[in-house]
Amino acid sequence: MAKILMKGNEAIAEAAIRAGCLNYFAYPITPQSEVAEYLSWRLPEVGGVFLQGESEVAVSYMVFGASACGERVFTTSSSPGISLMSEGISYIAAAQCPAVFVNIMRGGPGLGGILPSQADYNQSVKGGGHGDYRMLVLAPASVQEAAEMTMMAFPLAEKYRNPVMILGDGLIGQMMEPVEFSEELIAEPSNKDEWATSGMDTRKSDKRNLVKTLYLVPEELNEHNLFLKAKYDRMEQEEVRFVSYNIDADYTALIVSYGTMSRVCQTAIDNLKDEGIEVGMIRPQTLFPFPEKAVLDAASKEGCKVAFSIEMSMGQMLEDVERSVKGRCPVRWYGKCGGEVPTPEEVVDVVKSNI
Amino acid sequence: MEFDLEGIVIIVGNYGSGKTEVSINLAVRQKLSGMDVRIADLDLVNPYFRTREAKAALSGFGIETVLPPREYLKADLTYLSPVVAGMIREPSRLTLLDVGGDGVGATVLASLADSLRTQPVKMIQVVNPFRPSTETQAGCLKIKKEIETTSRLSVAGWIGNSNLMDETVAADIHSGYEFVKELADHSGLPLHFVTAEERLLPDIDLTRFACPVLPIQRQLVPPWRRAESMGEIRGPLNRIVSG
Repeated sequence: MAKILMKGNEAIAEAAIRAGCLNYFAYPITPQSEVAEYLSWRLPEVGGVFLQGESEVAVSYMVFGASACGERVFTTSSSPGISLMSEGISYIAAAQCPAVFVNIMRGGPGLGGILPSQADYNQSVKGGGHGDYRMLVLAPASVQEAAEMTMMAFPLAEKYRNPVMILGDGLIGQMMEPVEFSEELIAEPSNKDEWATSGMDTRKSDKRNLVKTLYLVPEELNEHNLFLKAKYDRMEQEEVRFVSYNIDADYTALIVSYGTMSRVCQTAIDNLKDEGIEVGMIRPQTLFPFPEKAVLDAASKEGCKVAFSIEMSMGQMLEDVERSVKGRCPVRWYGKCGGEVPTPEEVVDVVKSNI
Repeated sequence: MEFDLEGIVIIVGNYGSGKTEVSINLAVRQKLSGMDVRIADLDLVNPYFRTREAKAALSGFGIETVLPPREYLKADLTYLSPVVAGMIREPSRLTLLDVGGDGVGATVLASLADSLRTQPVKMIQVVNPFRPSTETQAGCLKIKKEIETTSRLSVAGWIGNSNLMDETVAADIHSGYEFVKELADHSGLPLHFVTAEERLLPDIDLTRFACPVLPIQRQLVPPWRRAESMGEIRGPLNRIVSG
């Protein structure tokens, strides 16, 4: 298929349809409303269901309901809306139903602003709702990657029977870039008989499915949590994804950065190279699981004097970078949270004043 | 060929058709050709990539730019400056109104209807055939109808803005021209000009075009890129210049 010019939000919407997702429930919020706008006309074209819920809380349970019935389903929102959905996300994780959530982040806390931010890192990566649960968190850095990660998110959600979060800052949703969709369609989930409460006559198996999140017997709840933990451990073993930049150079500093911020850092690294300063970068594509080993290896390289966590949040990812670096070199933070994305010049200055 | 747009020119189109980039580049070029130019950012629907991003560049050329006050500049509030109505009542030689996307974005024009009625205005639709909703003539005409319904004005012509941003090649400009030319012929409305990024101009066959070409120097860029310098700007390109 030929390339077309799309906003990240539009590309996410189209990618979900191409991933075979025909159920979308949402409540509009800037800067992700184009997903809902696009799907409001596109889903009826392909026989899908578009429904605007009365609130994000309601939407999260519509997603839960559809998933429990074995339907491929997703929703999108932005920061305050995701907070409202967090209860439903916790229930979906507890019930082990697959679903895809997209957060096109805006500045917070509270109503904050409508400009790009990465301040929902902890909320997404550490589990924003109650209880011990984790989500796979995918962080695109371009419109093309937003489309690809959306297509990837559905089979991953089904593989682990767990919610998957796509975490993009406002610019990932709003900017336009050329995008190309693969023609390959994603097959129906082969494992939905494991959980779908779709009626016995629709299934090959004669096992009864029960979707529940209430465990009043303490031993059973503990057992359930141990089972979930084993699943999250498996994600950490099998799902780490990252991209490295200028990592073969003899660099004196390492940057860890994701999403839009990583593209700014990439320009900064090119500019620093022109000045004779080599800097390497690890860009996590998965924030949970975090590419701990890649960051440790990169920070342990001879000559690397300092590592930076550069993020549009106030040092949230810094904790994971420090944890990964294990004291091999000092770790510094740089970031901004008002919605103004730090410029390549700012990143250059930060690196230069710390080496 | 000169750009045949003067007086009050309203730039409309679907989301992401390139209205703002076209408006900024047209404003600067006409200003440099000696025309008195003013531009108003009437995008009340889209929160990112608006005329206000290029305010400094525009002011540098002495182009008066009408924007919401600072406290609302980065908001998605439906704030319409009262200055706009005054600007319409006393237009400069070229007064550009850069309107938000789709029919929704054009709703703002209905609230300016009283002012707009007193002046001759031209509402021009920007089309990029690489955008999903305007890949076909039917798609372009559907957007046109939506805009006309909400704005209570008629689209009077077309601007071709065929591009895939950084990945645009000369062939895309050529095929985009054919698309919008056919659209103009079919609709009976004039094609005012087409655009092409400055870097593509050496590879473009200008003899194919029966309309002027507006060279584009990108101002609305992501934060890892610098806006292109608008320092050395040429006038509209046409067959005579190129030949």
